[in-house]
Amino acid sequence: MRSLKNHISLIIPLFAILFTVEFYLLIDKIIKNYEKYLSKDYSIVVVAKEPLKLENLRQKIEDVIKLKEVDSSLVLGRLKQTGIDLDPDQLKSYLPRFYKLYLSSFPSTQRLQSLKEELLQIEGIQRVETFTKTHEKIYKFLIFLNNISKFFLAIILVTGLMLVFKQIEIWNLEHSERMYIMALFGAPFWMRIAVLLKLSIIDTLISTLLVYLIYLYLLNSNYLKELLGVEDLVAPRQIASDGLWLFGLGLFISIFTVIVVSLREPKNR
Amino acid sequence: MAKKVIVAKDLVLSYKKNVPIIKNSTFSITSGSFVFITGASGSGKSTLLRSFYGELRPRSGSLHVGGILLNDIKPSKLSFLRKYLGIIFQDYKLIKEWNVKKNVMLPLLIAGYSKDVCEAQTKRLLKHVRLEGKEEYYPVELSGGEQQRVAMARALAHNPVIILADEPTGNLDDYSSRVIWGLLEGANEQLGSTVVVVTHSIPKDLNVPYRHLHIENGVVYEIS
Ligand SMILES: Nc1ncnc2c1ncn2[C@@H]1O[C@H](COP(=O)(O)OP(=O)(O)O)[C@@H](O)[C@H]1O
Ligand SMILES: [Mg+2]
Repeated sequence: MRSLKNHISLIIPLFAILFTVEFYLLIDKIIKNYEKYLSKDYSIVVVAKEPLKLENLRQKIEDVIKLKEVDSSLVLGRLKQTGIDLDPDQLKSYLPRFYKLYLSSFPSTQRLQSLKEELLQIEGIQRVETFTKTHEKIYKFLIFLNNISKFFLAIILVTGLMLVFKQIEIWNLEHSERMYIMALFGAPFWMRIAVLLKLSIIDTLISTLLVYLIYLYLLNSNYLKELLGVEDLVAPRQIASDGLWLFGLGLFISIFTVIVVSLREPKNR
Repeated sequence: MAKKVIVAKDLVLSYKKNVPIIKNSTFSITSGSFVFITGASGSGKSTLLRSFYGELRPRSGSLHVGGILLNDIKPSKLSFLRKYLGIIFQDYKLIKEWNVKKNVMLPLLIAGYSKDVCEAQTKRLLKHVRLEGKEEYYPVELSGGEQQRVAMARALAHNPVIILADEPTGNLDDYSSRVIWGLLEGANEQLGSTVVVVTHSIPKDLNVPYRHLHIENGVVYEIS
């Protein structure tokens, strides 16, 4: 029973550290994936007197990647329905040209605003209309989460490390007699701390698995997908590699602590 | 002339700075000898033995064990030296989380012997100390005499060059005492180990020649 409590005392802070690190990494990944998704979810319509060329535009605004002319016959067709009878070909030459413009990444509201101004500077452009859709709010919320997760990461890292350190000190004390006797028979350092290393490796493995499973569950749950309105937030492959990475980080923390705590032992060994 | 394995010159030992337990003592122990250290309770016998395995450093003077100066010995060198020692402690110092077999095996594991050798040697030793069948017992499940015999087997497991025993038969039953004296004699006679035994009374029926050091008022005297 006592040993179970001992394990939990190490598993909890390790879990907290790894959970927060993964939270941070995951939000980052979700944001990147989300940006890709959102990049198809805005529109910029440019009205110009003269034909526009992508190359010319790109000289002034680098992140434009595509320019698509909106067929004006659609507009004319609608005019016709209202009963106004005009010669379409003649009219076409009077009408301005409509273009849809695509950017390399999802623009923020500020970026859209500045883009609008830059576009209007260009000769021949008469009007610019921009629309972003509702997803912008969620996007902003993700960015917000990303920022506070940095803050939590810092706090949890500090308190978590302190708790890990404390727990390993307790273990060290519990096993100090055994380690002392081993030293009396000339056991090398690594052999004396082997028992502590074994315990901490087991607990790191448990913490990593817990974190991994919880995130796997969250990412597959419908709740998150519905909230963000996106299928496949993060590819499972991506968290699998995170799992390994987290295990490595956990091992580093616990092994490093074991070594530091054990080296601080009294000098008579 | 036989090699000296323990050499003390003007040795002073103390726990607190100005309270010497052993004062300016000069003596030596030759390789292959059987030595008794006697003295009243609290005279510093355990303290002296502790200095031989490097747990207590000389306050002044010098102390060589196996040709190595212990005054400022580095941990790695001390570990090296201890592999050649077999220590029997007054309070046994068995590892309570380990069973009898693993306790006896400790010096063999440290020496890095293969599993087969460890197993065979441990089995042989447990037979010597008459503990066959108790391999899987834990220290708490044994009597004082049995624990001391486990400690004995552990101290002899790796055929140490020097055996240091602190009151190995302190308050043991006759049977355990006879087993232990027999093993110490055997190690000295057959393996040529140097044996240093702290005791309050020298057994009468010993079959090997021995020397006798006595501590009186903190000074180590060579009686014989
Ligand atoms: N760890 C220690 N710290 C301080 N004093 C000690 C320590 N161990 C022993 N002493 C003191 O050293 C003296 C000799 O002790 P010890 O060597 O154990 O005697 P012996 O083994 O001859 O009975 C005693 O007065 C004891 O109180
Ligand atoms: Mg004593």
